[in-house]
Amino acid sequence: MFPLSNTLNTLLSLQEAMDLAQNQDFFDSATTSRGVYPPVNIFKNNGDLVLVAELPGVKKEDLHIEAKGNTIRLAGKRTIDYGKDISYHRAERSASQFDRTLELPINFDPDQVKGEYKDGLLVVFLNRAESDKPKQITIQ
Amino acid sequence: MSNETKEVTKTENKKPAKAEHAGERTVPGKYYIPQTDIVETDTNLIVTMDVPGVKKENVNIRLENNTLEVDARIDFSPYDRLTPLHAEYNVGHFARTFTVSNIIDTAKIDANLADGVLTLTLPKAPKAQPRRIEIR
Repeated sequence: MFPLSNTLNTLLSLQEAMDLAQNQDFFDSATTSRGVYPPVNIFKNNGDLVLVAELPGVKKEDLHIEAKGNTIRLAGKRTIDYGKDISYHRAERSASQFDRTLELPINFDPDQVKGEYKDGLLVVFLNRAESDKPKQITIQ
Repeated sequence: MSNETKEVTKTENKKPAKAEHAGERTVPGKYYIPQTDIVETDTNLIVTMDVPGVKKENVNIRLENNTLEVDARIDFSPYDRLTPLHAEYNVGHFARTFTVSNIIDTAKIDANLADGVLTLTLPKAPKAQPRRIEIR
């Protein structure tokens, strides 16, 4: 084996290991990446992102979504009201007020961001902004 | 219950919000125990469960020998063409079993599903309802 390829190989493994150690989290070192409500799952769909959050019992009108640049904000509240004269046997669900801001690795066009709330699931479609898409470079 | 702002800490995120159902199932996929409230009014027992992502037609409620069994399945097909990038929770079906006492009028149980919340209204049998006793 050539010494060069050995060196390159070592370097590559080192870089991979460093990348793994530094960028294990999707949001890198952003403070919003952990321990916040609602938990979200993020999926990739042909270069665009799809964000899904479980928000059962939240009314559509109590849910606010704002988008700008590469940042999305999910805010809202869930109220639980069983009326008066009740006694609790079990209380596991909690009423909550939430406000979460996520910074994503792509820029999206705020006008193109589409949100759906159905069956207690919030799905936000974040389509990559035109300016974020790769451009073909012609070699001169 | 009043509105409360949820205090969030890093340690809280470590424990999974959804508890996995222990029983073995014949269908593939994870099963979770839905978070449930049970409240009692003068006439009813109301069972409220969080089952996000479940459609009405995929909820199965069975009552047999005083055992109320709820099985709610989610539809995985919308996830088919998506590649997961970042995960903070897992998705799965929901199942939970309750023992219903004989004070419930089992024939009149009513179920409603809205915004991922399943509400079961179990009417109390007339003889179990509180009765005001008049003093002569």
